[in-house]
Amino acid sequence: MRTRADRVRAWFLGLWTGVALLYLFIPVFVIAAFSFNDNQGRFNFTWQGFTLRHWENPFADPDLALAMKNSLLIAGISTAIAVVLGTFMALALVRYVFRGRGATDMFVFLPLATPEVVLGASLLGLFLTMAVTTGFTTIVIAHVMFTISYVVVTVKARLEGMDRHIEEAAMDLGATEWTAIRKITLPMIAPGVLAAALLAAAISVDDYVITSFNAGQTTTFPLFIFGATRQGVPPAVNVLATGLLVIILLLLALNVMVQRRLAARDRAAMPSR
Amino acid sequence: MSLRRRRQLVPWLLIGPGLLWLAVFFAIPLANQLYVSLQTGDPETGYQFTWAFGTYTDAIADYQEQFLRSIGYAATATILCLVIGFPLAYYTAFKARPWMRNLILLLVILPFFVSSVLRTVSWQLILFDDGWIVARFRDLGLLGDDGRLLATRTAVIAGITYNFLPFMILPLYVSLERIDRRLVEAATDLYASRASAFRHVTLPLALPGIFAGSLLTFIPACGDFINAALLGTPRQSMIGNVIQSKFLFVQDYPTAAALSFILMTFILVGVALYARLLGTKTLTDSAV
Amino acid sequence: MTDPNFERRLEELLASDRVSRRRFLGRTAGAGLAVGGLGAFLAACGGVEGTADDANTATVATASHPKEAIAAWTFANWPLYMEKKLLTDFDKEFGGKVKYVEEINDNYEFFSKVRQQLQNGQPIGRDIVVLTDYMAQRWVKDGYAEPIDKKNVPNAANLVENLQTIAYDPERSYTLPYQSGAVGIGYNIKKTGRELTSIDDFFDPEFKGRVTLFSEPYDAASTVLIQQGKDPEKATIDELLEAIEVISQANDDGQFRRFTGNDYTTDLTKGNAWVCMAYSGDLVQLESDNPDLRFAYPEQGAVRFTDNMMMPAKVEHPYAAETMMNYLYEPQVAAKLAAYVNYISPVDGIKEILEQTDPEIASNELIFPSDEVAANLKNYPQLTPAEERQMREAMAQVTGA
Repeated sequence: MRTRADRVRAWFLGLWTGVALLYLFIPVFVIAAFSFNDNQGRFNFTWQGFTLRHWENPFADPDLALAMKNSLLIAGISTAIAVVLGTFMALALVRYVFRGRGATDMFVFLPLATPEVVLGASLLGLFLTMAVTTGFTTIVIAHVMFTISYVVVTVKARLEGMDRHIEEAAMDLGATEWTAIRKITLPMIAPGVLAAALLAAAISVDDYVITSFNAGQTTTFPLFIFGATRQGVPPAVNVLATGLLVIILLLLALNVMVQRRLAARDRAAMPSR
Repeated sequence: MSLRRRRQLVPWLLIGPGLLWLAVFFAIPLANQLYVSLQTGDPETGYQFTWAFGTYTDAIADYQEQFLRSIGYAATATILCLVIGFPLAYYTAFKARPWMRNLILLLVILPFFVSSVLRTVSWQLILFDDGWIVARFRDLGLLGDDGRLLATRTAVIAGITYNFLPFMILPLYVSLERIDRRLVEAATDLYASRASAFRHVTLPLALPGIFAGSLLTFIPACGDFINAALLGTPRQSMIGNVIQSKFLFVQDYPTAAALSFILMTFILVGVALYARLLGTKTLTDSAV
Repeated sequence: MTDPNFERRLEELLASDRVSRRRFLGRTAGAGLAVGGLGAFLAACGGVEGTADDANTATVATASHPKEAIAAWTFANWPLYMEKKLLTDFDKEFGGKVKYVEEINDNYEFFSKVRQQLQNGQPIGRDIVVLTDYMAQRWVKDGYAEPIDKKNVPNAANLVENLQTIAYDPERSYTLPYQSGAVGIGYNIKKTGRELTSIDDFFDPEFKGRVTLFSEPYDAASTVLIQQGKDPEKATIDELLEAIEVISQANDDGQFRRFTGNDYTTDLTKGNAWVCMAYSGDLVQLESDNPDLRFAYPEQGAVRFTDNMMMPAKVEHPYAAETMMNYLYEPQVAAKLAAYVNYISPVDGIKEILEQTDPEIASNELIFPSDEVAANLKNYPQLTPAEERQMREAMAQVTGA
């Protein structure tokens, strides 16, 4: 039973959500718009007319394209590792009482609290001591290191206060600990894991300081852009950034459409009650 | 192996790989920084380990202002993120259709795929002194006739809020989405008012999310330097800027390390107090 | 328990003729500390090693890098700072494959990245790096640079006269300029209402709150020194600190809106700032974004910054690096590079070429300054590392960091 007040409330919340998303996207719109700017000099600060020329060959600068590719690969790999390690840590921290839990709990917050320069530089020191050549792999190691905490904290927020009885019931019925986690706990925390993965990917793909120390000769998208500010960020950067967002959104739209279609078919196939 | 023994082992099996990763790639390098922070010397003549605690006291004395400012800005931004983010997370968890949920979550983090340097420059292109936005702010009397938005405290705090908003929204959503709607409905019947149902049921159940979200926002925001550097003036400089400058430009490594440890100590103490305040400890324990 | 690598390292050190006795002593002290894994780590990070050469010791050195076939080698540069076609042309002409890495985003960050390897006397895996004067100076003085074998770079004779010598590298034994620029006055003539010509204009109360300066003291303080009629290259640390004090006082009065790096460009283009300390190379480009923008070489003289090509110590492919340097100093090649980056080229005889191919660039005063302006370009101060830190510390106080 929905009252008028309920509808107003829902409408207001929807509006708020829309405005907040708009706030997040305003600068992105500007970036997208300036990918069509017919800029004459090296800089791309004022609107000088519409052109499609920057879109004609988005991968014209192979170094820029490579930087983008590196960023996406690094984000993908490091997110996968961090999500697995972090989710297990969160499970242990919330679901088990063990000696050292409180200390571990606090320890997980430390990487968040460490200023990036210090984090980046001290990790570089370790790699040099171990005579590891810095590059793609060391960037991944660094990104896993500083995204694990975000994963742990986010997944913990999901697990905390969650009903434990179902798992216990499953174990009483003979399921092993591992089966209980796999079949019951993981599906229940799936939205938390997804959110954690999104966060980890976002942080990885956008990191500048820590990456710059441990990148060796590998360039990533943020490193390229930061360096490019000296000469003026070329519109090709806007093109690639915008293109990436559009591709992600299209993939998502496709996914949503397929899911809705499938759901509709299921409903149609079900006998009416 | 007894069942009891095995059950004691399980948490360590789960926590082990992650903890090992953090121990090797975070704790050991950090221990070295602790060692550096107690050294004296300079890059040319070398450093000696002298238990130089003076570096710490000097750092506090010299950069008190930046410490306090960082905490103030980060706290303000965290509250703003909560105010902006909570209704969004609430809507997504309870009101949005299922297919919209993941879309909204993705939209929240999508701007990160465009480098933050680019986004901050975009804000500069939007909020410039002679721009449309500033003119409207002046019309509305929110700014004086020669008031500006860029290079102000407002800009720095808004920038931090902007950058960390997703870190608030995602944990909030994650804990709200878990709440059983029937509980809230039952409570509405019981309390007969939406507001008190929200206060007595939804809010307590959302506490883990509020706790996680505000920490993921506040902690990194304390050490932020990009926003103050690009949107502020020397009067808005934060402790992150000092550490960055000490390390890269002045090359005073002991002071940079000492400042970091002061910041980290403060944050850890703050986290412990905050956890107590929100009572998430008891919440966690009761769930076990 | 001793470091298993210790003896090998010792031999390497002794074999290397470029290690001074003093540095050798410093190294052994470091190696002595390096017992066991963690100890070695602490030593490597703590920067136990290092030398302090006297800042004013003129460093002249020679090297011999025999001709060899060019294979794969590495050129580290700033993003967007190269006409890429020149690289493929180079590979075609000289063989091998240049790995061109646009990894230098910032002089300090790049130095932080390779500092420990340089201090430990290890190769850093790059054959050419491009560093701005103040960082190049540091590398030369600390022994982090490999001398250039001039026999392989005959085109170095094309270096313009006023760059042939610089205090930290009087014979250009280690460095070869890549591109130069000047620190001058970038301003919005519509906002200022008049032409600006003097460093005094940065301090004009009429522009209060509408001025930006560079946060880099080598740029900002040197400009103030020129205003005071001093030659920054000969300035003492005390004079520099006084100059920073002048900046500090004006800042306390609210004269400056911000202290910037390259990000002054948005403030200037968008009209937030009216008068900016600016790089000449940028203004050539910014004028198309905002036609009201002007650049002036201050009448008192301007600071010149040069980005230099150099080889890091223990360089692995010196012949390839030198061949590239030589190539980039061919006037035809240098002209193409100048047309692409629009900075001041250090290579003589390219104006004539560009007058044929690209007359607009050839006639641009920001790319080809008049003789009068060129004669009035000053170099950065010469400081010891300790003095440099003192100066940075003072400037950081002003910029709030």
